[in-house]
Amino acid sequence: MSFPTPWRTSARLTRRLLAIKQPYRCLSCSLRLAREEARQDAKTTHFGFESVPAAEKQSRVGAVFSSVASSYDTMNDLMSLYTHRLWKDHFVRSLNPGIHTSLFPSPNQPTSQTILDIAGGTGDIAFRLLSHATTVNNDHSSRVIVSDINPAMLAEGKKRSLQTEWASSERLSWVEANAEDLHMIDSNSIDLYTVAFGIRNFTDKMAALREAYRVLKPGGVFACLEFSKVHNPILNGAYKRWSFGAIPLIGQLVAGDRESYQYLVESIERFPSQREFAGMVEEAGFLLPGGMEEEGGWEDLMGGIAAVHRGIKPTEG
Amino acid sequence: MSIFRLLQATCSKPPSRLYSSSNFVPSCGLSCGRFYHSYEHDRPPPFSPTEDRILSAALSHVPTHGFTTTALTQGARAAGYLDISTNLFPAGPFSIVNYHLVTQRLALAKDVTPARHDPIKIPTNINKLILRRLHANKAIIHRWQEALALLATPTRLPTSLRELALLSDEILFLAGSTDVTSVWYTNRAGLAVIYASAELFMTTDTSENFVETEEFLARRLEEGEKIKSFVGGVGTWAGIQAGGFVDGMRSKGVRI
Repeated sequence: MSFPTPWRTSARLTRRLLAIKQPYRCLSCSLRLAREEARQDAKTTHFGFESVPAAEKQSRVGAVFSSVASSYDTMNDLMSLYTHRLWKDHFVRSLNPGIHTSLFPSPNQPTSQTILDIAGGTGDIAFRLLSHATTVNNDHSSRVIVSDINPAMLAEGKKRSLQTEWASSERLSWVEANAEDLHMIDSNSIDLYTVAFGIRNFTDKMAALREAYRVLKPGGVFACLEFSKVHNPILNGAYKRWSFGAIPLIGQLVAGDRESYQYLVESIERFPSQREFAGMVEEAGFLLPGGMEEEGGWEDLMGGIAAVHRGIKPTEG
Repeated sequence: MSIFRLLQATCSKPPSRLYSSSNFVPSCGLSCGRFYHSYEHDRPPPFSPTEDRILSAALSHVPTHGFTTTALTQGARAAGYLDISTNLFPAGPFSIVNYHLVTQRLALAKDVTPARHDPIKIPTNINKLILRRLHANKAIIHRWQEALALLATPTRLPTSLRELALLSDEILFLAGSTDVTSVWYTNRAGLAVIYASAELFMTTDTSENFVETEEFLARRLEEGEKIKSFVGGVGTWAGIQAGGFVDGMRSKGVRI
């Protein structure tokens, strides 16, 4: 039996007092910090290396692209040393858009595809998709819908389309839309959803992926070309030097806008790694290509500077 | 099954995340590969149900369309998918070849009970198993040269060689071979060479029921046995000579 001796009472009192003085034990610090961080994350998102309120990101990205729209092509060439054209060519060729009707016509098959090119304002990918479908697959009816959130980029694309054969064609249409909310596009209506160098700028990537899943037909393909993580440490060193040293400088000299290009390289740095992003694509419900010689789900271009992610919407479930 | 098989499994590509949701394998990222052979539990299937449906349908179109994108597209259509869904297979027509190789190897493992270890019977068992595997190529043999061309493409070569190694390992295991010395390697390498040459021979074989391939295979295996016994003989002889040399030197007072 224990009696309330003065010593015990005082000990208990001390403990209580201490407990009041220290609202949490040091052991629980990490938990508290984690909670605070999570609370912060709910309100803000990253804009390059900065944290900005989620509501603000869209307008700030908009400002960036409005300011770079006119010099977009020159800048891309200079920054990527012309390789972005190779990547885009490879991206479109590997997707093989269009239906090769002449080879094996069968009665119950659709004869054209509807392709949605998200964040494709300048039409880079759209023109390539159309010309691949036409010249490689002899498909003269597949359509491409170009969507971009930024009217300046869309205007640039429309201007450029005048120099192509698709200028007044029914096969090319333009939509100003946020990729996280494609209410103007019907569910299960798209064969191929492409997004090249765009998904990095989305405020909520998961929402965009879910929206992609919604608009795609069962069996439809989600394809994304995006800057990614370089695996080789030596190449990575050189690449980081180039992107953080040279790109903002080129931006300042050519486009007269350093901040936009600083944002560009920072947003590349913040984009999830190949594995993480493949996980996100899978989480949205897509089947990833198993790939026997690839790491399953993505394809690295030039050692991982850019990566192609693909997902197929399953027909069942 | 021998420890080397396990090592081989370790070295091979980790399973794709596609299968991480299967009942057998907890989702644990890279370390998911099973590093041992279990008699009680099957390995997770190498292809997801969707891949399986499209590729098996594509394979049925191979006799008419060959190992081409056309066959793959027809397969996708037959499985209820779109033309564009062939993006599930970035390797293109090679996926069909690989599918055929993997499924036939697994079918061999599933249908044949591993023989008990009996050194006398091993050559006969090997012969039977190779023939059985070759006969699985019958339906598409007129298109198999296309497949061999795809398999020999430099970028695909590592996959092809690994598949060949896995097949010769499977055959030796099923034939009852339990060697674990350096013979393990020479056996597998030799068998792989014999199998590959017989497969190539079969593509130009027009005889009834591939009798000539059978004879070709029997000759190669016989040669293999001869080389093996010759190399073994030389090895024994060299061992005895080395032993004698050491004994001789010791008798002269050299401290070896």
